Amino acid sequence: MAVRLLQKSIAQVYSNTILNQFGSSANVLPVTPYTISYRNTSFFNKLPADEIWRGVTAVSNAGKKRGRGKGSGKKIAKDLNKGQTIGLGKKNVIWPGLNAPIVRGNDLIRQQKLPECLDREKHIINLRDSMGRFRMMRLSPIDRGWSGTKIPGRSIGPPDTVGEEYDFFDTRVLENKIVFIMKGNMGRKRRYSVLSITGNGNGLGGFATAKAPEVRTALRKSKNRAGQKLMNINLCENRTIFHDFYTGFGKTKIFVCKKPDGYGLICHRAIQTICKVIGIKDLYAKIEGSTNLQHIVKAFFIGLLQQKSYQNISDVTNFHIVEYQKEKNGFTEIKAIPHSTSKIPNKNHVIDLAQYVLEKRNVLRKKAIPTFYLHSKGHNLFVTKQERFRNHETVRLYKSLHGK
Amino acid sequence: MSFLRYLRKINTQLQLPTRLERQFSNAGTKSAILQYEKDPQPQFTDTETQRLLQSMTQMQLDKVFRKRTVPDNDNEIKFMTTEQLENEFVKMIEKAKHQLQMPPVVKVKQDTERIISKDPALKDFQNTKFVFTDITYGLRQSDRKVVVRDVDGTLSYAPLETQKRMNQLYFPLKGRTFHTPRMFSEQEYLQRCLDDHKYEFVLDRLTVQYEPYELDFHQISAQVFQHLNESKEFDQLRSTRHFGPMAFFYAWHHCIDDLLYDMIRRDYLQNAVELIALSYKLHNVPVEFRKTISELDALQPTPEKRALNQLLSSLKSKEEHEGIQQEIQTAIGKAESDFAADEISLKFIEAYIASEHALKKVQLELAVQTLKEINLEKLQLYHGLKKAHGMHAS
Repeated sequence: MAVRLLQKSIAQVYSNTILNQFGSSANVLPVTPYTISYRNTSFFNKLPADEIWRGVTAVSNAGKKRGRGKGSGKKIAKDLNKGQTIGLGKKNVIWPGLNAPIVRGNDLIRQQKLPECLDREKHIINLRDSMGRFRMMRLSPIDRGWSGTKIPGRSIGPPDTVGEEYDFFDTRVLENKIVFIMKGNMGRKRRYSVLSITGNGNGLGGFATAKAPEVRTALRKSKNRAGQKLMNINLCENRTIFHDFYTGFGKTKIFVCKKPDGYGLICHRAIQTICKVIGIKDLYAKIEGSTNLQHIVKAFFIGLLQQKSYQNISDVTNFHIVEYQKEKNGFTEIKAIPHSTSKIPNKNHVIDLAQYVLEKRNVLRKKAIPTFYLHSKGHNLFVTKQERFRNHETVRLYKSLHGK
Repeated sequence: MSFLRYLRKINTQLQLPTRLERQFSNAGTKSAILQYEKDPQPQFTDTETQRLLQSMTQMQLDKVFRKRTVPDNDNEIKFMTTEQLENEFVKMIEKAKHQLQMPPVVKVKQDTERIISKDPALKDFQNTKFVFTDITYGLRQSDRKVVVRDVDGTLSYAPLETQKRMNQLYFPLKGRTFHTPRMFSEQEYLQRCLDDHKYEFVLDRLTVQYEPYELDFHQISAQVFQHLNESKEFDQLRSTRHFGPMAFFYAWHHCIDDLLYDMIRRDYLQNAVELIALSYKLHNVPVEFRKTISELDALQPTPEKRALNQLLSSLKSKEEHEGIQQEIQTAIGKAESDFAADEISLKFIEAYIASEHALKKVQLELAVQTLKEINLEKLQLYHGLKKAHGMHAS
């Protein structure tokens, strides 16, 4: 059919050009407009509608096995064709041959306008509404995790009470992923692996991974397992770590710095979550190398547990340990005095404490790269032009405050 | 000698009206702001006065080095040898001394017109004045020359206000503003600060905003001190640089009794003696106080030494503290020399209370009596403990 159509159209184009060349219009027949289809095959004319529709909304069986199409359960698109048939529309008209038979008994049915059907529109809208709308899962901003409605970063409550009570505990998910194993009889088997951390915000913390075929079960298992693996972590001034330290696990290397009150947590989101759960409030951490989540967690915990107390460092090195407090205008507070005072070295060569606790590692501090336009002709001009406005903002603020 | 006697005679004659005036002012302190009627500077900068004031101020290190809001509050942890630490402590004491440097008490500077030249030829050359400022680097504010050419052609030294303004323009002082802060210009705001007992804040800002020879400085500081005398929150200013000027103000204006009462109540007897001595010194009262002061000085260390000792004692580990005598002293809070010093000071204070200079006699007597009883108890306990540990009671 399609081939014939094409032949016809070519023949017509050909005859048109010939006629135009000869310039005579007397013998020309009127040309009716044709829709010309150049693509002969496409899935639109090969597949039935329901199959095309399924292709848009569903996932293939193989895809499903690989974990694709997680959103297939949700209604993404609406079938607007539902409730509409060809020949029936806004205007209630009888078209013989289209929506009515041509002959009924002995009568020939004519095209006829009927009174408008008011319910039709309402019926279609009702149909569309009943299909359900695609809606994002609403989460209170406080309950949100690291990203959208994903589980990592979200709180899943304290571990279940088994023998001991977990008052003031909170558990947060750090990782939630699908893992596969091969089974002898079932082949590739899919499970969910969840890594979560629990803690009381006051120095107690524990983490665990658990796997289960269901997300919910995996979450519960890992939460309860984390509750069984609590570790005590000493906090300095109940808010930070005792000293800077380096720690690593696998290819993950972490440099952690002690920070003053009010600094906050400037680090990887996983470390942030761990700190919040344990009760650390001020800290800076820089990860070098791999950011494998399980390795980050393990490395950070190892680092926290391997911190040395001031007294310990002082006893080993035989130096006094003092804190120079800038917020107290340079007040020097003694933090530890070596156990045996006789051994205190009298030489004035003192090792650097930062070097000591970082095990002779030097942290690479990169210089900020200046912007490319700095000292360019245009920028210099801009700076000179701006100079006379440099104090305006403060003056305006002052005036708005003092009304002068 | 006869001249001195004559002076004293005059002074005693003069004292009567002043005291009457003071009593009158006490009735309505808010209305009358006390002023220095003559130049207090020679008395204030006198070495002996300074020493008394410094001793009264004390040096409580945790107050001098208290937590403040700073842009960078990062703490640094360091290794140190004993020697280094001791040097650090000495430096800290120096720093504390610097922090406690008192703002001077001087008389109000009067503005005098000093004309350099009159040039009528330049009259109406311009319809505005011209101010010329010497902006040489490194000059002191007071030495900087600022001159004004008036519209009528007169060249003269600038008035103090203009001089201050030009100094602030070319060499801005951090924290000082061109416009008077509302806190000082509007009584309502100042009163609110005072009612909240933010004395140190007001005085600190005052010291930054004004020069000590300005009238506003005198008036506002007097107002703060008078308010303080009523609220009796003297401890707020202790170990700050404003305690000295405050004590000097009270001693000058014959109203030391409230401060004295506070000192006795807090068991700062040496300070109480010093305050009375200061008042005697300022008003040339014929009482010999220097002997008592020197006796007390021999018995007790200066505030700096006391602070340094406190720092050094923290350096010793627990084993070195072991002396039982030391332990008893720390438990009671007083050593033998302290008891001796207390006895001398109490004698001096009682003599003051008995004299005609004290005004709140009953209150002071009661405070002294209470302190005496507590001291007696402590002394008995001290001797008892010493006996129990088999030491000779001296």
